[in-house]
Amino acid sequence: MTVKAASGQGFAAGTLNRSSPPLRDHALALLGRYGIYLFFVGFLLLAGLLAPSFFSRSNLSNLILQIVPLAIVACGQALVILVRGLDLSVSSVMATAAVAATSFSGHDADVLPIVLVALAIGVMTGLLNGFLVVRRNVSPFLATLATMIVLQGLRFGWTHGAPSGLMPPLLRVIGSGTWGFVPVNLLVLVAVAVPLATVLHKTTVGRRIMITGGNPLTGRLLGYRTDALTIGAYVVCSMLAAVAGLVLGGYAQIVDNWVGKGFELDSIVAAVLGGFALSGGRGTIGGALAGSAVLVLASNIVLLIGLPIQFQIILKGLVIVFAAACYAKR
Amino acid sequence: MSSTTISGKPAVRRPLTPATARFLMIGMLMAIIVAIGALVADRFLRPANLANVFEQATDLALVALGQSLTVLTGGIDLSVGSLISLLSVLTSGLIDGNGAMVLPVCAGVILLGVLVGTLNGCGVVLLKIHPLIVTLGMGAVLQGVALLYTRSPVGGIPDGFDSIAYGRIGGLSVGGIAVLLIFVAVAVLLRRTATGRAIYAVGDDRHAATLLGLKVRRVTILVYAASGLFSALTAIYLVARFGSGQPYTGADYTLSSVTPVVVGGIVLSGGRGNVLGTLLGAYLLALLNNLLNFLHVPTQIQLVAEGLIIMAAVAVHVEREKRA
Repeated sequence: MTVKAASGQGFAAGTLNRSSPPLRDHALALLGRYGIYLFFVGFLLLAGLLAPSFFSRSNLSNLILQIVPLAIVACGQALVILVRGLDLSVSSVMATAAVAATSFSGHDADVLPIVLVALAIGVMTGLLNGFLVVRRNVSPFLATLATMIVLQGLRFGWTHGAPSGLMPPLLRVIGSGTWGFVPVNLLVLVAVAVPLATVLHKTTVGRRIMITGGNPLTGRLLGYRTDALTIGAYVVCSMLAAVAGLVLGGYAQIVDNWVGKGFELDSIVAAVLGGFALSGGRGTIGGALAGSAVLVLASNIVLLIGLPIQFQIILKGLVIVFAAACYAKR
Repeated sequence: MSSTTISGKPAVRRPLTPATARFLMIGMLMAIIVAIGALVADRFLRPANLANVFEQATDLALVALGQSLTVLTGGIDLSVGSLISLLSVLTSGLIDGNGAMVLPVCAGVILLGVLVGTLNGCGVVLLKIHPLIVTLGMGAVLQGVALLYTRSPVGGIPDGFDSIAYGRIGGLSVGGIAVLLIFVAVAVLLRRTATGRAIYAVGDDRHAATLLGLKVRRVTILVYAASGLFSALTAIYLVARFGSGQPYTGADYTLSSVTPVVVGGIVLSGGRGNVLGTLLGAYLLALLNNLLNFLHVPTQIQLVAEGLIIMAAVAVHVEREKRA
């Protein structure tokens, strides 16, 4: 139920910016835009058929707990992909934020400074990424790869390889607690995704970002500050990654140097599944959320069927290629 | 910090071609590293140590060669790491110490590598999906299969197999020399053959290449097949070096294989650069790691240095944006 709530909000955002494609493409375009939601519902039904226990409250809230960190990162990643970029440094930002959180005393009084420090790490990383991409014209893949490696090194240097220390109780509640059976971290996602979707799909700033990504030259000729918008996308992406790092650190309770490992590629995949084209300028936040959910569901289904755990990765690979192939023709 | 000092003096002016400029830059960086090395440790410049660096670069250079070809066409191959992992466990698992199995297994592994690469290429061409997504998906599938086959190091190699990695000719490792020769051969093929030029043409402007009547699809499939081939060779080399295959042995190559490519001056958007630059890039990284080991720099700082080298390499030499 709550899963549907998460995607329903994005669904609304998606309908708002419907353009009118030529008639014969209409059906295809609709499928392309809403295909991920079909996929999502299909996966839900499949999972329910395979294991009746799937729709139990505890399993659902467990699933959401796992979806939220990825969904937060995917929102940021989506923003960067929208301006024709990629951000490989998100996982490194996540781990760095989580490690920073355990470097304090571990009491609730430190939560505010922790959040500020994490956001500062995000802002600085995002600025560096954006600067390299926009001012130095470095390809996003490389710029963010380089910042990822540098952050890794700095983090290892700071922790000497083995982070110790505790996440404050409040962050642990945010990461893994449930309120009734509503996971607390869902609130974080809502607090992130709703404003983001609103800005992106309902304001002129959002329009400008879309146009900057869709056709940078047009954006420049229209007088938009395309450089600032692009750098802004990288900054927001890194900040969201930092937030996700805190949430995931709170979920895992124990923080190591690799919190968020694999999220850099998973978040790209989630966004692409959700309808973001790597060529920029297209996609909705709701799609990115649904994409994240599908990715986590795919892993969950493998366990439900009782297949060996290795099939999780195999199925994920197949889903990636299949879903991308569905978008490719347009 | 180092990126600003280097970018402050872009000594590269018009008369130099980008390739020459890039080789000069790598040469300068190498000279700096060698100079520091010579100052801090007398053993650094000993032939034995330099031969060691030459050997250390082998595996990365070999994967990066395949990566270079895909990048030259404007693509990328993110399945190399998982492919290496899978093929390495298959190599040692199927040989399992039996000398008679070496040739058939190696042949089969190479064939499988080419086959997977061809599949990647077909995915890119036929499904019209971004190469990053195709190869990422393929990589996930391959990693899963590798883990299905084994979850721990498996098999072994017969006596003499390790000479691929540890054999010496005139003090230099056999594998290293072979890789050097392969690079030269590929560089010549790229420059002298029609297919080689077509790879550049496709990467520079796919549409124009199509209009020229070049077989764009065939060229694209070919480079991914080649990447699969070189991944297979890397897997066999790694098995020879470590004595057995491990299901995660290749994981780090997925992203790190891109580093020598771009440090060596091949532009990620395709069509520009030289594979010999990739080889130099691999030597540069090996030399850097070697120096940092001499300096007893902890691994974490080595990471920072590697990141800064990437930043310096790409930020100094600004990639010219092409009209999409």
